[in-house]
Amino acid sequence: MGCTVRIASPLRSYTASAATLAGRGRTLAEVLAHLEQRCPGLRFRMIDEQNRIRPHMRLFVNADQALELSAPVRDGDTVHVVCALSGG
Amino acid sequence: MPLSDSARTRYQRHLALPEVGSAGQEKLAAARVLVVGAGGLGSPAALYLAAAGCGTLGLLDGDRVELSNLQRQVLFATADLGRSKAEAGGEHLARLNPEIRVIAHPLELRAANAREILSGYDLVLDGTDRLSARYLINDACVLLRRPLVSAAIHRFEGQLLTYLPGRGPCYRCAFPQGAGAAVASCAEAGVLGVLPGVLGTLQATEAIKLIIGAGEPLSGRLLTYDALEMRFSEFRIARRPDCAVCGEAPSITELRDAAPEPAPGGVRRLSATGLRELLAQGAAPLLVDVREVHEFSAGHLEGSVNIPLGELPQRLGELAGRAAPVFICRSGGRSLAACQLALRAQVSAPANLEGGLLAWAAQVDPRLPVL
Repeated sequence: MGCTVRIASPLRSYTASAATLAGRGRTLAEVLAHLEQRCPGLRFRMIDEQNRIRPHMRLFVNADQALELSAPVRDGDTVHVVCALSGG
Repeated sequence: MPLSDSARTRYQRHLALPEVGSAGQEKLAAARVLVVGAGGLGSPAALYLAAAGCGTLGLLDGDRVELSNLQRQVLFATADLGRSKAEAGGEHLARLNPEIRVIAHPLELRAANAREILSGYDLVLDGTDRLSARYLINDACVLLRRPLVSAAIHRFEGQLLTYLPGRGPCYRCAFPQGAGAAVASCAEAGVLGVLPGVLGTLQATEAIKLIIGAGEPLSGRLLTYDALEMRFSEFRIARRPDCAVCGEAPSITELRDAAPEPAPGGVRRLSATGLRELLAQGAAPLLVDVREVHEFSAGHLEGSVNIPLGELPQRLGELAGRAAPVFICRSGGRSLAACQLALRAQVSAPANLEGGLLAWAAQVDPRLPVL
């Protein structure tokens, strides 16, 4: 059993349009590394070269914002990838 | 001011609600609300605020009505094509409810005029379509201590949050920095016509709640809506002590215009297979690899030139006269930034290799070594 990852629509070109992916890992860093294996390039859209969450991307574990990649992820959690949208 | 007989009839369904009643309706009549952006979001928001009896309703937009707007911007009719959105929309709102005062602002919000315009209102709704405008409006609301209800949309997805001065996080707390061209505009990515109807109506709901003092505002919470899955989600957002505008030591104390953003549609998105087809057709676009030298040395596309991203601002002259260059990096992030730089330097139609060389290796040529 792992976690569920919900992907913001601007990033779904990396997931073959999938809105939800199965994730695996005990921390956010591990979950993103696992995702990167299946969706090359996805992690870099969220995380910069200094391993910081990009300021227009927000990551949440369930309803709580994860500010660090070391944030724990437990079985059954949902990781939400949210991107600042600009359309009006 | 007491409600007139005609107002009592018009707002009877509101008056029947204990949460609104005469007192709430009078608060609505006294309210001054500015809707910035008379587009997909601003249309339903303004319509419902006008119908609800919002006493002074400002509508700000510098654009004119285009045919492609009418799929979702329900404030306009086909006969309005070519007209100022603020003026045509303002007339529509006044026809809907002649008992309110509608003020059209047919202009673009800038640092130079934002303070003066927003000072005349008690509450602001942001329905603009540019991140730079979103930050300007947020900063103005923080500095002027005006509540802000901000919404945004993309394809089938929307977001909503409310800022209450001194009580909760602002838009910059939620998103300290914009994505620029990393997020395609509605024009590029498309948008379901009814989507801004949902989000704009939620904005009007928040505004009415704030005016009459009912319910729980969406402060400290980010609401997202996925129309395809018909799913609302809610996330806790905290005020950031280091926020540039509402934090403990703000660096933004005066309004300023952001650096110009690239025009919508300015950056072309090119998939790895799309680039392969382009090359197979005999096209010879300038391929600019913006990775570091050691990454380039390990493996690169044949014919590509290496200009590390950090050197690009000084070396943009090397692109002179070369239309439609394709920028390449490892995974598509740096090359997107390069496209933005190129656009600002008036380079024509730059393209971004989406997913970068990792996508190329995965989809086209697995023999390509990518560090």
